[in-house]
Amino acid sequence: MTATQPGSGFRTSTKATSAQKRAPWILLAPFLALFVLTFIIPIISALFQSFTTVDREGLFGEDGVTGRFAGFDNYVTALNDAGFVGSIWRMLLFGIVQVPVMIVLCTILALLLESASARWPAFFRAVYFMPYGVPGVIATILWSFLYVPGLSPIVSLLQSMGLQPDFLGANSVLWSIANIVTWTYTGYNMLIIVAQLKSIPGEVYEAAKMDGAGPFQVAWRIQIPLIAPALVLTTVFSIIGTLQLFAEPQILSTVAPAIDTEYTPNYAAYTNAFAFNEYGVASAQAVIIALAAFILSFAFLALTNRAPKNERDQKKRAKRDGLEARRALQTRGTSATGSRPATGVADRSTTTGAAPRLQADSKGAEA
Amino acid sequence: MTPIPSRTVLSRRNLLGLGLGTAAAGLLAGCAVPGSTNVNKAALVPAAAGGETVQITYWAWLKDLQKVCDVWNAKNPRIQVTANWIPGGNAGGYQKMYSALAAGGGPDIGQVEFRQIPEFMLANGLVDLARYGAKDVQSKYDEAAWSQVEFVDGVYGIPQDTGPMGFYYQTAILEQAGGQPPTTWDEWRDLADKVRGTGNGNYLEVFPVADASPFAAYAQQAGARWFRTDGDAWVVDMTDDKTMMVAEFFDGVIDDKLVDTSAGAYSPGWYAAAASGKIAAVTSASWGDALIQSVQGGEGKWKVAPMQTWGGTGYGSSSIGGSTAAVLANAKHPAEALEFITWMTTSKEGVDAMIKYCGIGWSPAKDYIGKARQQPSEWFSGQNYNEEVFVPSAQEQNLEWSWSPVTQSAFTSLQNQFRRKLTGGLKLTDAVELAQREIVQSFKDKGLSVRTAR
Repeated sequence: MTATQPGSGFRTSTKATSAQKRAPWILLAPFLALFVLTFIIPIISALFQSFTTVDREGLFGEDGVTGRFAGFDNYVTALNDAGFVGSIWRMLLFGIVQVPVMIVLCTILALLLESASARWPAFFRAVYFMPYGVPGVIATILWSFLYVPGLSPIVSLLQSMGLQPDFLGANSVLWSIANIVTWTYTGYNMLIIVAQLKSIPGEVYEAAKMDGAGPFQVAWRIQIPLIAPALVLTTVFSIIGTLQLFAEPQILSTVAPAIDTEYTPNYAAYTNAFAFNEYGVASAQAVIIALAAFILSFAFLALTNRAPKNERDQKKRAKRDGLEARRALQTRGTSATGSRPATGVADRSTTTGAAPRLQADSKGAEA
Repeated sequence: MTPIPSRTVLSRRNLLGLGLGTAAAGLLAGCAVPGSTNVNKAALVPAAAGGETVQITYWAWLKDLQKVCDVWNAKNPRIQVTANWIPGGNAGGYQKMYSALAAGGGPDIGQVEFRQIPEFMLANGLVDLARYGAKDVQSKYDEAAWSQVEFVDGVYGIPQDTGPMGFYYQTAILEQAGGQPPTTWDEWRDLADKVRGTGNGNYLEVFPVADASPFAAYAQQAGARWFRTDGDAWVVDMTDDKTMMVAEFFDGVIDDKLVDTSAGAYSPGWYAAAASGKIAAVTSASWGDALIQSVQGGEGKWKVAPMQTWGGTGYGSSSIGGSTAAVLANAKHPAEALEFITWMTTSKEGVDAMIKYCGIGWSPAKDYIGKARQQPSEWFSGQNYNEEVFVPSAQEQNLEWSWSPVTQSAFTSLQNQFRRKLTGGLKLTDAVELAQREIVQSFKDKGLSVRTAR
């Protein structure tokens, strides 16, 4: 902020930046237009539809069809549907087992690839990532050939050993799906963690080595704490992904009779919308799924973002100091320059660059 | 995190608010319920004038349909038909048609299965062809096929292919088991028992819990009538004696492990089992012949017999699947479309082309089954099965049977309950009753009046 003239100079500088402020919006416009068209409007439309229903006259509605506001009827229908509620519980069970397994697996893979003794890390990174390049539908078809008795070499092998595996049975098919999902996404999550590992500066490792840390201690005490943000990110993505599970069960249902059309929440919504033309109930279900994903993700974030107790105390203290500093500055500012608007100072005080100087100021004021 | 100056926050909110506001306004403006206008109450679309060339589009999932259209186009320069391929029915084709209808567009003709017609009527998606003279061509079609397209005095689609049923079997396996093709379901059960005795994992047939179509066909054959109308109300009757008899029969068969319930016919596992001789037979529709010919090394091993019956009650055969060429609500040229459809489904030229290029199911034309089907088949052990089995089968149908506007949810409910036979030991008789409750609820959810028969 450079004021060319005292007093009016402040205003000129905001005018100059208003064009700059417009620029990002103009540049963002193509994205925003598509985002609004394909994201925001459908979401609003689904919200709107979730509160509507239709009445029909005659055998086929040939004597008139009227839409009306239905209040929370569709939500009541959705939540009274034992199959739909059951599918949410099923996905919770799925998530509690599959997400930790996958996160542990991808962390181990990432740590192995980034360890000093790794051979051909680039090659193996590509190999582990490869399943993610296979579309979910194709992956499921591939795996279904490994599950179906009579086609699967794995089943034949186990049968020749005297076992009777049933990968598609009522109790096992959920874990067969978990296997496909883990296979597909472990490599992808691994890549996120590898990226975070690469951002750890070399000096940290050097320092650890100087202190006599072995490879396990480096992994446990240096790498894992430092990749925590990436772990949180991948876990949140996985929680959302779990609730949105759709393609895998839908494809597998052709070979697994235990998968019904309400096996996962998304599958239930899909069936209602596109098989039954019940857009109202389907929209209500979609909104419920979105809310559940929202709540679960935020609960997880709140749990992991909670700072340790001593840090929380520090933050509280810092906040109090900041307030005092601002007050001190304001009184000093108004008495010294007079015409200088207080808002401008308040604005500046929140930017990180100004903070150290302010703190120094406040110390000076106190002294 | 760099906090954004408060001024920008405000303007971003404004912008978002503006966007939301516009979107909401747009929605409210277009919030008329899709399918609430009834094209059959509007004036007739007049036939095109003499010299005018009419362009017609046909959305279907038949392969190479354009080649059939080309045969017609060459002879009828005035009416030119273009075929567009869509995914099969519930695999995406219906969704595509529904959304096109909701948007006020779509083709002149669409492929719609018999069982889906009432559901399209519910969306006000079909033109009543009786108003364009469809009843004049009724005599050219099989009675059973025609009975499925007539509702409340209207004609809502023209039969294109049907699926009369027969019993496909592997001759060697039946001989080995010491059995004959069954004439009744009781004989079928004895035969299933004998086939089980030939080796571990050998079955006569599959009974798919995840696909209710065969069960519905068996009940239809026994003489059930699940859906009928009474004035302005629908009557659901799935717990009648006939359906209960069929459900009880299959309860026994499944409990005695006489059928394979792991997957349906024509699934990858089924093909593997049929090729290795672990599945001996399949009770299926006439269109099953093309699918069975994909069984590896099956040439010369299969034959076809008439479908087994329920003894004293019911009909000689039943049917699965089959579709119509329906004129959709936003069609610009219904009269010309009907002209083309009639040619396609009843003329010798049309039927032969449909069999040759599209491999359609059974032709609904009353007196012509298609040239290719009048000859014996090498693959099916030199048997002339079409004339032997399916010509009579097409005549021995339950003419009382009718579908409902909730076919999809009816099948889904049945299937979801049937699955519990495997997952929780629920009896099929109870499953049908539970499904009926859900189906009645679906009628209510659609805003239709409904009651159960008993």
